[in-house]
Amino acid sequence: MSTVINQQLAETLTQMRVGNQAFLISFYQDNRDLFARWARRQHQLDPAAAHELLRTVLVDFYDQVADGRLTKMPADVRNHLYGMAQERMEAATRQSTGTEELPAAEARRRQRMLRLFRQLGSDSQLLLMYFYFKAFSFDKVAGKMGYANATVARLQKANCLRKLYEIMSRDQSETDGAAGISPSAG
Amino acid sequence: MTPPVDLRPYLDELERFADGQMTPIEQEAFEQRLENDPGLQQAYEIYEQITSDLRWVAGHETLRHRLQGLDMRLDQRQEALGRMHRRQRRQQRRWGAVAFGAVLAVLGLWLVFRTPPRDPQRDWIKYYVPDPGLSESASLSSHRPLLAEAMEQYRAGHYPAALHALRRMPTDNVGQDTVLYYNGVILLRQDQAAAARPFLKRVSQMSGSSLANKARYHLGMAYWMAGQIPEARAALREVASDSINPYRKPARQVLDAKVIIPQDSSR
Repeated sequence: MSTVINQQLAETLTQMRVGNQAFLISFYQDNRDLFARWARRQHQLDPAAAHELLRTVLVDFYDQVADGRLTKMPADVRNHLYGMAQERMEAATRQSTGTEELPAAEARRRQRMLRLFRQLGSDSQLLLMYFYFKAFSFDKVAGKMGYANATVARLQKANCLRKLYEIMSRDQSETDGAAGISPSAG
Repeated sequence: MTPPVDLRPYLDELERFADGQMTPIEQEAFEQRLENDPGLQQAYEIYEQITSDLRWVAGHETLRHRLQGLDMRLDQRQEALGRMHRRQRRQQRRWGAVAFGAVLAVLGLWLVFRTPPRDPQRDWIKYYVPDPGLSESASLSSHRPLLAEAMEQYRAGHYPAALHALRRMPTDNVGQDTVLYYNGVILLRQDQAAAARPFLKRVSQMSGSSLANKARYHLGMAYWMAGQIPEARAALREVASDSINPYRKPARQVLDAKVIIPQDSSR
């Protein structure tokens, strides 16, 4: 019996690692209200804040799986996620993006990428998510985004990537300027 | 930390290579250059790192957006369910109030229009107008002391004593119709309708007596008390239609009230 459960958990972990988020989506749907009641009793959180906390914890959990930081699915996922929420509540001042346990340089890089990505327009974000996360073909991206054809989708994706690179370069210059590093020194 | 290499000059071909857009000849040439051109090699590594980070960010943001979207849908659903429940509760309350009001209205109508239960004793007290008896006077006291005593006892409600005094009276001292009439009236006051009836009947048949009219009323009431409904109605109708009968009005009242009905509650 436990072997079957372990196999199911391992399968869920594998699915999540290749980008299948269905498990987390359905977990949220099934446990949102339950979690909100728990958070209200334990931490006097109002429902909206509790929902946000659960979403953050789920994204964090997903990041851990995707990064390979979590190599074995916890036997009691619900308990594990509530524990993560508890930790977050206890360290409320710490703004986690789920990258703390990565090597510092990598965590910084990803955090920066996340911040800069959010500076893109919503269409650009969506297009890049379709291409780089959902691995849609250009044809499918064109269909989803309402472009004329795959070539337009490819050009749009190239533009988005350039925009992101421009933002990264600008951000890097500002950081270097603040640190007193001359551009020629790079 | 400035990137050691500016990607922009390489970005187009790096993208085309990474996205599999190159022809086999282009790809072969690009791979050749990648091995020999340190600048391109470094640009390629940076590009790979950026796209790897981008994949992570895209996954992170996809889940975040999906959860936010789901949250909004769940909120909307809960709100819609809440609205539906509130509407149902309002309707239930409204129907409850309507039902309660209807019950109250039915109850009120029933209370207003219900036929009160018959109480023969109460009806009798309400509708029977007893004879006031002869008024006390000096001549009555001096010439007919027993009649005066009988009347006094009668008015005081001492009916057996009144009857006793009446029966002791010599017959030549007072008219027969008076003795018979008061016998009947006093017996009726003692609830002895059957015994009162012959006295009253005899007086009512004395056409020359001034007490005949009165006797008809008391006879009718004696019939009612005895449960002889048709006879009671007939006698009282006769009284009610007689314009000179002093009991015309009470006779009409008791007939109009329709309390003279054949039932076991009749007296």
